[in-house]
Amino acid sequence: MKPTARWIPYFLVAPAFAIFSLAILGPIIATFGLSLTDWDGFSTPSFVGFENFVRAFNDKIYMNSYWHAGIYIAATLVLEVVVGLLLAGLVSSKRNTTFYRVAFFTPVMLPLVVISVLWTFLLNPDLGILNRILGNLGLESWQHIWLGDQSTALLSISVISGWIFAGFYMAIFYAGFQRIPSTIIESARLDGASEWQLLRGIKIPMIKNLTEVAILLCFTGGIQVFDLVYVLTNGGPYDTTQVPTTYLVRVVFRDQQMGYGSALAVILTLVVVGVGLIYNKVRTKADAVVEY
Amino acid sequence: MKRNPIFHIAMAMYSLIYFVPLLWMALSALKSNEEIALNPLSLPTTWDFGVFAEAFTAGSLGKYAINSAIVTGTCTSAVLLFGSMAAFAFTRLQFKFSKQLMALITLGLILPLQSYFIAQNALFDTLGIKDTRMALILPYTAMGLPLAIWLFRAYIQNLPKELFEAARVDGAGDLRVYQSILLPMLKPGIATVAVFTVLSAWNEFLLALVYIQNDDLKTIPTGLLTFSTRYSTNYHLLFAALTIVTVPMIIVYVIFNRKVIEGLTEGAVK
Repeated sequence: MKPTARWIPYFLVAPAFAIFSLAILGPIIATFGLSLTDWDGFSTPSFVGFENFVRAFNDKIYMNSYWHAGIYIAATLVLEVVVGLLLAGLVSSKRNTTFYRVAFFTPVMLPLVVISVLWTFLLNPDLGILNRILGNLGLESWQHIWLGDQSTALLSISVISGWIFAGFYMAIFYAGFQRIPSTIIESARLDGASEWQLLRGIKIPMIKNLTEVAILLCFTGGIQVFDLVYVLTNGGPYDTTQVPTTYLVRVVFRDQQMGYGSALAVILTLVVVGVGLIYNKVRTKADAVVEY
Repeated sequence: MKRNPIFHIAMAMYSLIYFVPLLWMALSALKSNEEIALNPLSLPTTWDFGVFAEAFTAGSLGKYAINSAIVTGTCTSAVLLFGSMAAFAFTRLQFKFSKQLMALITLGLILPLQSYFIAQNALFDTLGIKDTRMALILPYTAMGLPLAIWLFRAYIQNLPKELFEAARVDGAGDLRVYQSILLPMLKPGIATVAVFTVLSAWNEFLLALVYIQNDDLKTIPTGLLTFSTRYSTNYHLLFAALTIVTVPMIIVYVIFNRKVIEGLTEGAVK
């Protein structure tokens, strides 16, 4: 429709756009600019070209942080998406499962900081209940300083992440399962399909789109993981849980290297946007072939 | 479908993974520090709920909660108002640069926080708004808007066009249409966006950590982190604080669970 007065649409869009430009759009452009400078945050930035980027690609800690994020993403794909899918299959196979769905989703809405502080205690080698339970079961050899041991720290963070977000993916998949026409499910049941066959043969294939979205979310969320890691280990021990975001915060706010930090931020942005674009391409292609 | 006790027993066992940590947190608050250290698995010997009052005052949790409420309330109102206004213009009105502006806003859906917070920090420094509530309200509103506009647009597109045209015939101007026709019909959408915005603002940590040093302005996540460093060995007090923060949220969640789950998942999938 044509607006009743010319100024109206601009008036309607203006506040949103002004806030968005001031807080996000402007700063993004500025961050790209800063990535080409050497800047401590106080003096005048000096232009250094692509030096920061060269340094980033030679920065072992930074490059390893992507490796850690990769491991974390791979682990959470299983612990969050796959577990979420199985949980969704379970809670959709019976009636009266509201209680479980509500319970499994609980951690998603709590502040990550609160959950992280709680888990530092659960995994605490002296006070924590995990080691105590293992000890009571006679599994002393399984006890670890979970978050302080290089071999278990990253894995522990992934498991905690799974504890939080499996319920989130379950809710997404469950909503998808509910939209499958019940006639399809019922007729498959009449034909004697087991719940497992139902899940594998009908339910999962019919929510293929949602699964793709979930994998993308797991990826983009995983590469930006911050709160959990910052509180649980802050990148330690010996940088073995350093992820791109925690390292970025360290470079910017502890080492006061705004220029270098901006370059790290630009690289992270390009990775996230790149993955989003690739995903969009793959998905539109797949959508063109399979339609249901 | 048959009733299946094995199914429910197995699911209940699995639920324990969620309940035990939270229950342990609440029960440990009631124990003394010695009890917690010596026997983390035991039940409390006394049931003295005074510890919660102590933690509440010692940790100035009330202050943090009020700060979180002010920040969350302001940015959520702004997101709902400005987001619905913009979405209305983008979906129902023709104007120059409409496509380009929408594309820019859409960009905000995928960009990570890290891509702008360094320069944003410098900007807020220059503007002198660091260590004020504005330093959180502004970015939280900006971060909430793209998703709000996106979701509202989908809702408005599903409303019948004739509704808006009829109002036009009756002589209503666009602002009138927005106010008396669109807003009332947008209620389910508003609820979804509100849930998403409230929870992300309430739980946001990184910007709160960077922008707010003044303890009087800290929100719950950063306030609680300060508390946990200050009382890192006063376990029962710390557990009490964690419980105080968690329990009200769980109660609200259990009451509105459908809306919360819907809001969070719909917001993410879009």
